Amino acid sequence: MATAELTAAFARLNRATSTAELVQATQAIASLQDPEAAETLIKVLGFNNPAVANVATEGLIRLGCAVVPKLLVNLDARNYGARAWVVKVLATLRDPRGLELLEHALQADIAPSVRRAATRGLAELDLNNSRDADALRRCCDGLLLAGRDDEWVVRYAAAFGLERRLQHSNVSGSMTDQALALLRQLSSSSEDVKVVRLRAQLALQRLNAE
Amino acid sequence: MAVTAPLNETQVIANLGMSADPSAQYYAAWWLGKMRSRHPEAVPLLLKTLKALEQTPVDQDRRGVALNAIRALGRLGNPAARNPLCELLNSTDYTMREEAARSLGRLRDPAAVPGIRRLIESGTAVAGGEQTGSPLLQEPCEALIEALGDIGLCSAETLAAIRPFANHPRPLIRAAAYRALLQLTGDSSWGVQLIELLKHPEALVRRGALLDLGATGWTGAGSAICAAAVEPSLKLVALRSLAEHSEDPQVLRAMDALI
Repeated sequence: MATAELTAAFARLNRATSTAELVQATQAIASLQDPEAAETLIKVLGFNNPAVANVATEGLIRLGCAVVPKLLVNLDARNYGARAWVVKVLATLRDPRGLELLEHALQADIAPSVRRAATRGLAELDLNNSRDADALRRCCDGLLLAGRDDEWVVRYAAAFGLERRLQHSNVSGSMTDQALALLRQLSSSSEDVKVVRLRAQLALQRLNAE
Repeated sequence: MAVTAPLNETQVIANLGMSADPSAQYYAAWWLGKMRSRHPEAVPLLLKTLKALEQTPVDQDRRGVALNAIRALGRLGNPAARNPLCELLNSTDYTMREEAARSLGRLRDPAAVPGIRRLIESGTAVAGGEQTGSPLLQEPCEALIEALGDIGLCSAETLAAIRPFANHPRPLIRAAAYRALLQLTGDSSWGVQLIELLKHPEALVRRGALLDLGATGWTGAGSAICAAAVEPSLKLVALRSLAEHSEDPQVLRAMDALI
């Protein structure tokens, strides 16, 4: 049962017509930090309004990992924009339950923004204990795939992600070799996009592997 | 991600030469630009498709091929395209003038400046006036002004031609003028004007101003780009441009936070 405050905030959202009103109503809902608000905040992600979606995304992130199952169920397959925000929330929460969805988004989503956010998620999912060796391998495989994506922004995210995994995770020797080889390729003239080369060079510098 | 086998360049070149099949030519012209083809036949064949524009009336399919060819010529960066593109600035077809200006901006050839500038010298009332019964202006002012900024050849004449457009009633035309004036003079007060437009109530204007800021390479814009109410994908495009112009690692840090 929703609280009276939440019910009032929902009503305000339903009455909103301008972006400013939608942002305020969404902020009001998010500020209550009530888990009951999750479905509504997920629905707001589909309004095709970045200012509003941004507020809803932050609200969902503040609700924490409890929203992960709801996000996995409520993902609107037809709305590119909404999917990108959902993947972004999952990536930011770093909850390992998001792994399969992130892998799938990277492999199958036609929107580069979704593949980009998924790549970030694979770079940052929390996989601290040793039981997660298989999940870590899957994340790294995903990052290697992202490094060969057609879109520059996904390759950029891969350079970022490989750096993070090599710095903070216990990556196997052979995976490290593959990751460094890919970073060297992304930093070389075989990569067309300058900003990708710049990012891969920065990664190699930080890993002392130039 | 690609779902079909990649087309082979030889095949694409052959398709572009097949004037009997405009749809194959249309795709071929796009492909060569997208792939930044270095094939020796690419530029001559693309230029040949422009001949269709000299006929009256212009065949609509061939006009479409020519538009893609103009865009591809901008991407391929071959100086042989400059004169034919400059001639298209005299076209009676607004879209041809617009696309020719965009491609000339990409070629960054200072010799194109007088021809581009001439089209806006009549000022905001004439070149920048509205066509009757159409949302278009008399001239494709946004593309023309952006091209002058991208080419980057600063002269008193060019600045004088652009400056009035900083007061044009349409925000995107003002944005183009601020962008070009920042590129040409390095005076950051034009950048501040662009940052003001990031608060515009229309998302289209905010997006335009954001990409314009990126195109200038002015690193003073970094934090305003990150804070704007615009989708992250576009912020990344703007920051990419900023990073590639400035090579400032701070910009990469800002991009990392947005991916």
